[in-house]
Amino acid sequence: MSLFLIAALPFLGAVFPALLIRAGRNAAAASTGAVTLLALIGLVLHAPAVLRGETVSARLDWLPDLGLNANFHLDGLGLLFAGLILGIGLLIIAYARFYLSREDPMGQFYSYLLLFQGAMVGIVLSDNILLLLVFWELTSLSSFLLIGYWKHLPEGRQGARMALAVTGSGGLAMIGGMLILGHIVGSYDLSVILQNKDLIQASPLYAPALILILIGAFTKSAQFPFHFWLPHAMAAPTPVSAYLHSATMVKAGLFLMARMWPVLSGTELWFYLVATTGLVTMVLGAVIALFKDDLKALLAFSTVSHLGLITMLLGFGTKAAAVAAVFHIVNHATFKAALFMNAGIVDHAAHTRDIKQLGGLRHLMPLTFTLAGVAALSMAGIPPFNGFLSKEMMLEEATHAIWAGTPWLVPALAVFGALFSVAYSLRYIAHVFLGPRRHDYPTLPHDPGAGLWLPPAVLVVLVVLIGLFPNVIATPIVTAAANAVTGADVYFHPALWHGLTPALYMSVAAVLGGALLLGGHRAALGIWNNLPRPEAKAIFDAIVGAATGTSRRFSDRLHNGSLARYSAIFLVFTLAIAYYAFASGTLGPETRAPLPVTAMPVLGWICLVGSTLSVVAFHRNRLLALVLIGVTGLIVSMTFNYLSAPDLALTQISVEVVTIILLLLALNFMPQQTPRESSPGRRSRDVAISVVAGLGVGGLIYALMTRDFVLPSISEYHLANSYKGGGGNNVVNVILVDFRGFDTFGEIIVLGIAAIIIFAITEAVLGSRVRARLLNRKPWSPLAGDSHPLMMVVATRVMMPIALMVAAYIFFRGHNMPGGGFIAGLIAAIAVVMQYMASGFSWATDRQRLPYHGIIGTGVLVAAVTGMGAWFNGLPFLTSAFGYVHPPYLEKFELATAALFDLGVFLAVLGAVLLALQSLARYAWQPGIASEHPMDINPERDDATQTIEGH
Amino acid sequence: MEQVFDLLITVFLVVGGIFGLVGSFGLIKLDDPMSRLHAPTKATTLGVGGVLIASMVHAYAHEGHLSWHELLITLFLFLTAPITANFIAKAHIHRHETPDTLPPAGEDKTWATHDVPPEEPGSGRG
Repeated sequence: MSLFLIAALPFLGAVFPALLIRAGRNAAAASTGAVTLLALIGLVLHAPAVLRGETVSARLDWLPDLGLNANFHLDGLGLLFAGLILGIGLLIIAYARFYLSREDPMGQFYSYLLLFQGAMVGIVLSDNILLLLVFWELTSLSSFLLIGYWKHLPEGRQGARMALAVTGSGGLAMIGGMLILGHIVGSYDLSVILQNKDLIQASPLYAPALILILIGAFTKSAQFPFHFWLPHAMAAPTPVSAYLHSATMVKAGLFLMARMWPVLSGTELWFYLVATTGLVTMVLGAVIALFKDDLKALLAFSTVSHLGLITMLLGFGTKAAAVAAVFHIVNHATFKAALFMNAGIVDHAAHTRDIKQLGGLRHLMPLTFTLAGVAALSMAGIPPFNGFLSKEMMLEEATHAIWAGTPWLVPALAVFGALFSVAYSLRYIAHVFLGPRRHDYPTLPHDPGAGLWLPPAVLVVLVVLIGLFPNVIATPIVTAAANAVTGADVYFHPALWHGLTPALYMSVAAVLGGALLLGGHRAALGIWNNLPRPEAKAIFDAIVGAATGTSRRFSDRLHNGSLARYSAIFLVFTLAIAYYAFASGTLGPETRAPLPVTAMPVLGWICLVGSTLSVVAFHRNRLLALVLIGVTGLIVSMTFNYLSAPDLALTQISVEVVTIILLLLALNFMPQQTPRESSPGRRSRDVAISVVAGLGVGGLIYALMTRDFVLPSISEYHLANSYKGGGGNNVVNVILVDFRGFDTFGEIIVLGIAAIIIFAITEAVLGSRVRARLLNRKPWSPLAGDSHPLMMVVATRVMMPIALMVAAYIFFRGHNMPGGGFIAGLIAAIAVVMQYMASGFSWATDRQRLPYHGIIGTGVLVAAVTGMGAWFNGLPFLTSAFGYVHPPYLEKFELATAALFDLGVFLAVLGAVLLALQSLARYAWQPGIASEHPMDINPERDDATQTIEGH
Repeated sequence: MEQVFDLLITVFLVVGGIFGLVGSFGLIKLDDPMSRLHAPTKATTLGVGGVLIASMVHAYAHEGHLSWHELLITLFLFLTAPITANFIAKAHIHRHETPDTLPPAGEDKTWATHDVPPEEPGSGRG
């Protein structure tokens, strides 16, 4: 199976559980399992080749200019990790089916799980570090969804947020590191990067790249001091914990360090950063784990500790240590997933995870006890289980590590950590399952059904088998993975008995010490509780609080809801930039002579200046201001016409009409006068800013119009190619629907979204308490009678077909003459708006059947389908085609796909305007507002009533 | 012949101009709103009408074809001018007149603009 398909399967499959949950929970679980199984089979089919030492790859250029290619490859390390992700994923899916309760939305759970699984598989299969980064961020996002799955629990939400904040910010750091790395090598392909060890380590950018990448890996793998998110993520359902914290999410950081091991490791910096962090994390995690009473918290800190162990091994930088690290990744995944599921079973059965309330469960849950015992002993490193093998190897490697000249430090701390590790592992057995049977369990526990114990049992069997026959089961895959990590042939031959080595003595010391420590647990707990300990969550909350507070203070000052402030900030900023550009640039000589001044433009100019000055003078009277703005708009459109821009003039005038009508409607809800709210000082400051800005814009335009451009503009190209390439004489329209059709396509989508947002805001407002106030609103002045006068109604009825015909005419001529879909849409909207004005919104809207959302959507779809049509001719999206037909008895007629595209624009504009209008009209709705008749006074009707009365 | 046409054009232009001037002057001169309403309606109909006829004659005489645009403009003017006047009058009656200051409304009880249904609790307008 292609690697593309393996990586894509979980993403594609995420749809199934979401849909199939309607067919029941079994269907959802089965579909999820089937998808995972299919991907696993695809992976296993590649296993023989990979184990032979080959690398399977699949390459696809995605964005080659950015170096971002969808390149996947599968080597030993990828196979190991993908196998763990999919294999343990399969077990988790089965387990979750029986773990989640009836109230939990299971389809959602499986969808999230598959998304997460896909992201993880993507990480381990990527052969391109940018692609890897994409998947890396996807794991952060999808794990956020999984950890916060129980949305009703505040701990779940907080834990999810914390995990996202920590791993997400680490991811940001890693993006920086990866970009530096790619910059050093000159390629973002892993296979290329891995060949360039000397180049990377000699680069002066090695240290920053390494540190940034390590921050990403450490946050993901919960290394000190970023370890605190992992225990808080335990608020997730147990299957999620078992999956994320044993085999997948937290191992992603380890995977990355292993992946980059050949090029990044081997330096002093690497050793001290990675090995030290790992060592500290290992010891710290183990110590804290011993004193946690929550089963999952114990396992969480134990996970932190084991991740530290593996990190430390990778940090040593020797091949043998890398082999041990890979081996321990496998072992940890098996026993830790089993233990998490086990903790879930106990929680399910006893309804508590508090160790203090448990004990003696072996009598009630013998099966669970057996499974927990084997897995926990393996975690403690007791032979003959697999944990013993890798822990032995770890201790062996620790004896070789010399930290800052002291050879005893690392081994001593390793034994210390191992000792605590033994203690908490034994505590899991002793304090939960051993001891006398109690009588105060929240509910009487019993062994669960096969659905819950079978998945961990599979893993426990693996724990035993790997321990007993490591060379049969683990050696091939571990060797292949270790070869991939170290880039060399390694020799891996684990055995239970190595002879009397230092590692064995250390192991024995750890086990005995751990047993003793558990015996003195009560005393140790007393000491622990008296130690001053910084609370990570409190520190994290303080940092987040400080950051939010700072940014809020900043943004509240800039973004306080006052339009005047926004425009002041915008204008001052623009002025500053413009002044800088003006001061630092040069101004060419004037090359164009001014046109002669004739009477008409001067008259228009006087009107324009007069109307704008009047707006300033009378702006407190809103209605008057609106009328004056209308005058300004009309003169501007006449100016466009005068300056040979008929398209702009048409657009301006129709936009003007629609805007004024919408504003008039909005005025309905506002006081008639704008109150004087700001101080004289502030007003004069605003006047100064606007005067300077106005003069600046005017000066800029004057400078532009009296000079030729420094560089030739694109207009010449458009003029030359409009007819040849686009089949239209109207260059403006051809630019809109052809040359820059993609822009227009985006714009109509934005327009549609804006209209739908207006609708959504209206919905939200009318769902709130404001609705009651709107319904009880009293008009500013008493209302007049006869609000739908006969003459107006009749005239608008006459005008409607004429206006629609004009819209059609403007639409059809658009390609060759001034016009087009945008203007036609506005005119058609005005035709409908006239009916609203004459007979009232309610009456008119009762008589039209198409929903405006649908019109917008149809418009966007028509435009999209037209654009896609080009694909069938093997051309890029939105390439237009045109031809001429000559129907009998008619003039020669042009058929262009651009006209279809323009139809999409027309519909989107029409729908957007009417939806906005409808939303505003809904605010005004009051009971009894709808008139039964199109006009209030109708002589015909009156006659009719009189006749009826007369009978 | 051409001179006759030119003469016609001139006459219509002058007539249009005079009516435009009279309309504008009336708007300033008359003080009662209902009287003022008359002035601009004369300007739009007769004043613009004169210019439009002049334009049609010009098109026929000098460009050699009949022009229909002007008829459309006339149509729209005839459609919109009365409605505008109607609304201005209604607004005036609504805001500045009471039923007592107006002449009697004939058979009806009152003028339409003042014919407001009695306010019901909780309901807005009719």
